[in-house]
Amino acid sequence: MLTIEAFSMYIMICALAPLLGAFTLLFLFIFEKRIDLLEKQTREIALEKELQTAYYNQLNQEIQPHFFFNTLNSILSLARLDRKKELIRSIETLSKLLKFKYQTNNSFITVEEELSYVNYYLEIQKIRFRDRLQYEISTDSKVNQAVIIPFLIQTLVENAFKHSFEKYIGDAFLKITIVKKYKEVYIAVWNSAFIDQEKLPHESGLGLENIVKRLELLFPNENTSVTLVDSEDGTTVSAIFPFVNKSEF
Amino acid sequence: MNRKSYQYYVSGTFKLGVGFGIVSLLARWVTGNTILSSPETLIKYGLAGGIGYALMGALALILFGFLAKIIREKYPDQHTIGDVLRQKLTPSGYWYMITILLLTSFDSLFVQAMGAGILIHMIFPIPVFFGMLVFTLFCFFIGGIGGMQRLHQLAGVNVTLIFAAVIIIPVYFFIQEGVYPVYDGIKLYHPYLLFIKNTDAIWFIFTAILIFLGQIMIDRATWQRVFIIEKEKVRRTFTLTGGIWATIPLAITALLMIIMFGRSYQNIYSLIFELVDKIQSTMLIIVFVLFCFSAISSAINAELHATTTLFVRNVMEVIRALTEQEKWKYTYIFSGVICTCLLVIVSIFTPHPLQLLFFFGNIYASMIGPMLYIILSKYTLPSLIPFASLIGTVGGYLFLPVTDNLRVIWISFAISTFICLSFFLYKSITKQSKERMR
Repeated sequence: MLTIEAFSMYIMICALAPLLGAFTLLFLFIFEKRIDLLEKQTREIALEKELQTAYYNQLNQEIQPHFFFNTLNSILSLARLDRKKELIRSIETLSKLLKFKYQTNNSFITVEEELSYVNYYLEIQKIRFRDRLQYEISTDSKVNQAVIIPFLIQTLVENAFKHSFEKYIGDAFLKITIVKKYKEVYIAVWNSAFIDQEKLPHESGLGLENIVKRLELLFPNENTSVTLVDSEDGTTVSAIFPFVNKSEF
Repeated sequence: MNRKSYQYYVSGTFKLGVGFGIVSLLARWVTGNTILSSPETLIKYGLAGGIGYALMGALALILFGFLAKIIREKYPDQHTIGDVLRQKLTPSGYWYMITILLLTSFDSLFVQAMGAGILIHMIFPIPVFFGMLVFTLFCFFIGGIGGMQRLHQLAGVNVTLIFAAVIIIPVYFFIQEGVYPVYDGIKLYHPYLLFIKNTDAIWFIFTAILIFLGQIMIDRATWQRVFIIEKEKVRRTFTLTGGIWATIPLAITALLMIIMFGRSYQNIYSLIFELVDKIQSTMLIIVFVLFCFSAISSAINAELHATTTLFVRNVMEVIRALTEQEKWKYTYIFSGVICTCLLVIVSIFTPHPLQLLFFFGNIYASMIGPMLYIILSKYTLPSLIPFASLIGTVGGYLFLPVTDNLRVIWISFAISTFICLSFFLYKSITKQSKERMR
């Protein structure tokens, strides 16, 4: 049987418990917005930091002197051949490419913006590689305004050039597919490989790791992934992240 | 969102954070049942039963929180339980589930209205009919036609009143009387309450968790709230709601001690309302009466709103396409009819012990397996899964002559879950063999 002491304790708990409940509710009402704000700020700072790393990587690794000199030489040859229209177009594209690269400091952009940047890059590469390079971009029109981290597709495309097309002679095929599946955006970048190409360990770890981190920061608690699959005929890198329209973000 | 849009009625205009989410869920789950069942558990199972009752509610809400997160992620475009069932079930399964949902809705509304009837009968010196007329009119305007926005406006007031009562009244009484006289009174008149080595209570607690979990899993109003709470806060909201909810039945057991010490009782269900006779302070009487009405009316309003939405959106609109105006028209008619039925039933039947409350335990327990399967599966499910709950319920009732009530509930749960598990295994095996054949 319960003693008087235990009974008193029981009554005390019964009387104090709702008080605790009411205080918890009150606390939530007063501080919830502030906690949300702090969480958001922390996430933004981390995202900003990762973006800076990506930006740094872009500047250090990807505007390589040989890309720049080759492009300039290609442009020079266009001038020598007096192909004025192509010359103007290539200088204009190079200028837009550099502008985008140096001016993007948002934590996120739209797929459409990212693709226009990729297009500039591929146009320049087309001047360098000429008929050797064939590329195809298929996009689901629904994802144009979807939010994406800057330089995601660009990093994957640049990896294809860096690890495959620039190292080996032969036709270079590149295929970019962007589709919306259910509530997610699927991005796949496939590049052809060469039969006698040695399967080297990928050096793109840093770039992909950065993409994984930034996706996790932009979409916390959501399903995101970046995978690399080597097959007989080529390499596919896929990125999956939630579909969120820019207007809703 | 346009105020005339029906979506405004169903979901309101804004997403709820943790604070508002808890208030909204508390307004739904501190109900007439909480007030009416607490005395029975306390008397049947002693103080262990009182604590157990609080724990089982908290645990069921916390467990549902895990599911709620999955529901929110898997069905982002839906707004009601009916929408999800329609997506996942064949027509026959869907209509069976809708029938069960409507049946349990009416049961729940009826139990709440009975609680209101008892309260009016005991407190006000007016015929129950007039009291209930005012009460049902209030529910009709708030829950029936007011919509989610109006419910949320009142939820804050309701929860404040509930906490005010359960904090102030016990503190006032125990300061005035002291714990000793209450302990002595209980020891003299109800010594069985003080025995805590009660194995029956544990059995009861686990069964109650099953019933409460089943009840939450098919609760129309809770599902609607799952879809309007911010996605990343759903689980946190349910966990905290569980914790905060548990404090209320605990406080009610303290209130019951005040009523019961030094006297006997006649009717277990009206016991809590007899507190009015014990309270001398007018202000405390007002707080207590408002607490009872708040708990009952907020639950009826939420249930009425969810049932009306289910009827218009998942019954009428499935039968034929409705214009916005027609949806509003059917909302007024349907909620009006329900309120009238409640008024007539409660006025005709004298307030009685509520057997119905426990009669539905089998249905709730047998719903757990099928609902889990529906929520977690990826594909459209055959009718067998929803009908497993029917087989479970009927199977449970068949065992009623040979075993006790609590065991019957476990049998219902076991039968329906066994059917779902068998079907799942069968599907997995056939899928694997098909893949091997390829």
